[in-house]
Amino acid sequence: MRTILILIKKEFLQVFRNPLLLSILVVAPMVEFMIFPFCADYEIKVLNIAFIDNDRSQISKDIIHSFNSSDIFVSKGLLTSKKEADEKMKHDKIDLLVEFPSHFEESLYKNEPTVIAVTANAINSVKAGIGTGYVQEIIGGYMQDFAAANTPSNMSAAIAQQASMQSNSASFSQGEDGERQSNSSAVMPAQTITPPMPIRINISNIYWYNEQMNYKNLIVPGILVILVTLIGCYVTALNLVREKEIGTIEQVNVTPIRRWQFLLGKMIPFWLLGMAEFGAGLIIMKFVFGISVQGSLPLLLGITAIYLLVMLGLGFFISSVSENQLQSMFIVLFLFIVFVLLSGVFTPTEGMPGWAHKINYLNPMSFYIEVIKKIILKGSEFESVMRETIVLSVMAVIINTGAVLSYREASK
Amino acid sequence: MSAISIRGVNKTYDGKVVALKDINLEVEEGEVFGLVGPDGAGKSTLFNILTTLLLPDAGDIRVFQMDVIRDYKAVRQIIGYLPGTFSLYPDLSVQENLDFFAVMYKSSIEENMNIIEPIWKQISPFKDRKAGKLSGGMKQKLALCCALIHRPRILFLDEPTTGVDPVSRKEFWDILKSIRQHDITVVVSTPYMDEATRCDRIALIQDGEIIGVNPPQTIIQNFKGHLYTFKSDDIFSLLQVMEQCPLRCNYYPYGEHCHVAFYEDMETAMPQFERFLEEHQQPHSEITAIQPSVEDCFIEIVKGKT
Repeated sequence: MRTILILIKKEFLQVFRNPLLLSILVVAPMVEFMIFPFCADYEIKVLNIAFIDNDRSQISKDIIHSFNSSDIFVSKGLLTSKKEADEKMKHDKIDLLVEFPSHFEESLYKNEPTVIAVTANAINSVKAGIGTGYVQEIIGGYMQDFAAANTPSNMSAAIAQQASMQSNSASFSQGEDGERQSNSSAVMPAQTITPPMPIRINISNIYWYNEQMNYKNLIVPGILVILVTLIGCYVTALNLVREKEIGTIEQVNVTPIRRWQFLLGKMIPFWLLGMAEFGAGLIIMKFVFGISVQGSLPLLLGITAIYLLVMLGLGFFISSVSENQLQSMFIVLFLFIVFVLLSGVFTPTEGMPGWAHKINYLNPMSFYIEVIKKIILKGSEFESVMRETIVLSVMAVIINTGAVLSYREASK
Repeated sequence: MSAISIRGVNKTYDGKVVALKDINLEVEEGEVFGLVGPDGAGKSTLFNILTTLLLPDAGDIRVFQMDVIRDYKAVRQIIGYLPGTFSLYPDLSVQENLDFFAVMYKSSIEENMNIIEPIWKQISPFKDRKAGKLSGGMKQKLALCCALIHRPRILFLDEPTTGVDPVSRKEFWDILKSIRQHDITVVVSTPYMDEATRCDRIALIQDGEIIGVNPPQTIIQNFKGHLYTFKSDDIFSLLQVMEQCPLRCNYYPYGEHCHVAFYEDMETAMPQFERFLEEHQQPHSEITAIQPSVEDCFIEIVKGKT
């Protein structure tokens, strides 16, 4: 017992005397919390839009005008040629281009099909998708109003959306034909005198567990996960291998202490540090982002404790198989990226192919993020996180056994 | 009773590099035993095996009758080890390092203060300084304290004086002599032949083989040649000329001097040699006969031209 206590004391002394490690422990989480949730955001807030109006009619002007009432679109004005538009898109001056064909108005009144071309810069496919969606919504809305006002005249409008890559040569088209949006009145015969009111259905959405659809609610718990993982895995992986580098491990190995004592003396301090970081993270989450834990706090802490054991064990396993800090750093970095990208911390896992889901059964982070989201955002009880808890516990046992066994007191 | 008994130890790294070849060695309890040999001779490998850090390919090694492989836990309790490179925690203070290793051995500083006192007196003024900030000599003294804190029965020192200045080296050896008073067997390795004379017995090691175990005086007495020394302005050209020397001799640079060990009747050989140098236009200082050092003996054994 005395042996383990002095090992813990030694570890803490070293941590608090290592300015670099201290700054990793204190500054890194602060920075992650203070910057990341405010900038990592899928919401599109600004879209630069330009128009080519070959029709110069009242309707085309009205449609262009209706974009001005939107907060998202910033109009970059009317352009005269396709060439000019290409140039602007190439230089990122505009994200979207809406082009009206000549005789647009005329076609509408004559009930002839006509096409509005929407071109989007699809370098950021999310932005392009959302942008064209908004454009459709606005034009569709206008057409509906227009139809209501001009029912006798049959007309149809179709919007083709065209997404072009920004690069010079490669341009791909996303649904050249677009979705044909025909007005309900389009099939009405021309001679109808009393038109029925167009049926309008409004869909209103309620978003459970994240009512404002606030992206921070997803990001902040994700950062909490990353924080715990970094402390657990990264710091410990570097710590043990450093003892190898400076040779102190030999001096310790010639003493009669047992290897489990040595590893325990290393795990307890980093486990405590990890829990402290997690606690600090929860406090920041509550007071800075106003996200409080919906579920049981002891349950959350308990599962975090188990998850930390997995990460600590993994860190020690990595450092006992690597020769120096550089090697272990690369291994941790590799695993960390795989863990994060597959785990669903920032991206939904639902869209992943089946094999990726299978790999995720080995990814402790994917289980932990489930737990975090369920307990913090949904307020889930133990029953709904039991599977994750069991899996993490099994992982903790396996990886720590591996770490103890792989740690060699005498080399071959 | 023998403190260490080594029988037929072999060690090969990666199946290619032969580090130790059929080592047999006995170290008596209470002696200061030196392992002397150039870099790469296998000294550290042997030390790592003796201190239970490395497994041999074959052979039987016992430290106070205990097998270093099977009873490694018990062996660790009775050995002290000072590795070749400074291996204490540089970010812990002198006092903290000592406390740490005392607890690792389930011992305490007070309990064995009488052993480390002469050394501790020298480093205690710096006890709050970080170990990494100590001078080289002080680091070694602290490491020695840490290795002695549990009153080991045998102390292993792997090149303790490499990179240490001559004054500190002398001090260090004086400390080692004082350690023996506490019935601690000392096994020390060194590449410095001059330090070998301070051991009770030395083993000469070369290319993983032990080429002789004797007290230093015996080794020097066993020197077969007639050793002479002289100075030359151009050692390089002298050594080239010596290749053509018709006499049976070993020659090698020794500091600023050239040592030549003759295996001839010197009555006739010396005039012959002086004539040889003259013919080849090698100006030199007076050629004087000297007593061989351990280094001369080592070279004689290695070159084997007797």
